[in-house]
Amino acid sequence: MHDRSRSNDQTLALSAAAAGYDERLVFSSLDLSVARGRVTALCGPNGCGKSTVLKAMRAMLPLREGGVFLEGKPLSGWAPKALAREIAMLSQSPSAPEEMTVLDLVNLGRYAHRRGLARQGTADREAVEAALAATDLADLAHRPIGTLSGGQMQRVWIAMVIAQAAPVILLDEPTNHLDIAHALDTLSLVRGLSHEEGKTVVVVLHDLNLAARFADDIVFLKEGRVAAAGPVTRVFHADSIAEVFGIDCRVLSDEETGRPFCIPLAARGG
Amino acid sequence: MTAVATEIARAPAHGRAGRLAALVLLLGAAAVTGVALGSSSMTLDRLLPALVGQGAETDRLIVWGLRAPRVLLSALAGMALALAGLLLQRATRNPLAAPTVLGISDGAALGAVGFLFLFSDSANSLTVSIYWQPVAAAVGAAVFAVLVAVLARGAGGGPVGLVLHGFALGALAKAGVTLLMIVGPVYRASQASIWLAGSVHEARWSDVVVLASLMALILPVLLILTARMDQLLVDDSSAEASGLPVRRTQALLIALAVVLTASAVSFVGAIGFVGLVAPHAARLLVGTRALPAIAASALVGAAMVVLADIVVRLAFAPLEVPTGAATALIGAPYFLFILFRTGRAHA
Repeated sequence: MHDRSRSNDQTLALSAAAAGYDERLVFSSLDLSVARGRVTALCGPNGCGKSTVLKAMRAMLPLREGGVFLEGKPLSGWAPKALAREIAMLSQSPSAPEEMTVLDLVNLGRYAHRRGLARQGTADREAVEAALAATDLADLAHRPIGTLSGGQMQRVWIAMVIAQAAPVILLDEPTNHLDIAHALDTLSLVRGLSHEEGKTVVVVLHDLNLAARFADDIVFLKEGRVAAAGPVTRVFHADSIAEVFGIDCRVLSDEETGRPFCIPLAARGG
Repeated sequence: MTAVATEIARAPAHGRAGRLAALVLLLGAAAVTGVALGSSSMTLDRLLPALVGQGAETDRLIVWGLRAPRVLLSALAGMALALAGLLLQRATRNPLAAPTVLGISDGAALGAVGFLFLFSDSANSLTVSIYWQPVAAAVGAAVFAVLVAVLARGAGGGPVGLVLHGFALGALAKAGVTLLMIVGPVYRASQASIWLAGSVHEARWSDVVVLASLMALILPVLLILTARMDQLLVDDSSAEASGLPVRRTQALLIALAVVLTASAVSFVGAIGFVGLVAPHAARLLVGTRALPAIAASALVGAAMVVLADIVVRLAFAPLEVPTGAATALIGAPYFLFILFRTGRAHA
């Protein structure tokens, strides 16, 4: 196991940020940062602003106040391709034409690395092959994506993100619509990206126990503000979960992994 | 890993090249047929000498003076309309999008007829150069494209909503064309058929040269944009996250579609449904990658209009049926079919 104690090593941060859609402000004066080389899970009830925070971190949503900073540099006014080489993101419900092949879709991840009219180079091909290998998709490279299962399809999207070769990866509910086996599979893959290749990963997760099992850090969001943030073992306890989700629960610790897990008991009325 | 690499490198592109070659042959055959057939049909032993500048003088006149420009203008206009449709379908990710469907063709026709109306003197001749007509058509097409985009965005309603707005505005433009033709200087029936349904009856070499030059300018731009068009295959968020400036690219593709539509319409009128059908046929034949899709769409579109012109010349002779009637005969039922499928998918 690596030494994972460098939690002060911030890489991506929102500072005094405010953002929203039309009339509605989703968050304001939000300060939130994630640590380099670690997996940070964003958790919170529906509508707490998780996806909006993720989009703001990718500079895909104009901030009304404050800023996004990558390694201390503000992310405003960057060229789209330069930004994409630094931060990759998988949105919540990606879509592509059914007859597209796995290879064609994963190739799209290389767009930010292509210059002008240049065709695919060796670096592109190697990155795509590595991404297909990492996601165990090499055998399916020429299959139309319409013929794949939900779990395979999710791996294709992650392969596209890996091919983008950005040091920071943002994932919006990558386990949505996946059964538990495929969800575990996907999250192991995601954690490997961080722990073996040093990527900084931010992942929005619905399932608290999956977050506790796979993340290094957790950020609990409630109504557009950070309710608690820090390493899993420090933040994941019954009080914080009760406050954020409005439920009673019991938090125990798994003997083998040392990871906490939560047994929900009842929703608090009102 | 090496086994994997060779496996992946062997992409199944051979089928695509074969189908593109077949399309080239189809277009070539259609063009030769288009030059050979007509009110005075020619056998190959008369056609071939005429094509190389020998044989009877009347044959040379028919082939080079009348039919060749007509066939070439059909092919070029078909290419332009098909590519406009492809760009619109890529930019909007809407399988129903096409110049006719979105009212852009009729907007271009209104621009062209409005130009004739405004700049003709009492003797019915133009007071400014005819070369301004494509510009007027482009202005008309752009106005209607922007109107459709703004109104449809305001109202929502998804892919079918966009189409409804397009049809409504297209009907409005068509009414404008009809009005201007009744009160204005465009009075001959053959001209009327151009602006109402699209026709290549009056093809001249000068038209061919101007349209060919426009296409020669636009095609390289399209080739530069193929990577961006590929990127637009995925949803907005994924495309944006991969580094594509999505809104800017969509605006660029729509602007090019407007120019292509205006170029075609100002010479042959609003020939319908080529821009809808050709990109779909191309997708079935060569898949989703932009480069082969551009080639296949252009070839199918060109062949469609050349064949449609042959059909109206032969089947209805000596009547001058507009070419657009023949393309609509194939295109409209196909449009209904996609409308039905899209409506179900979004239900």
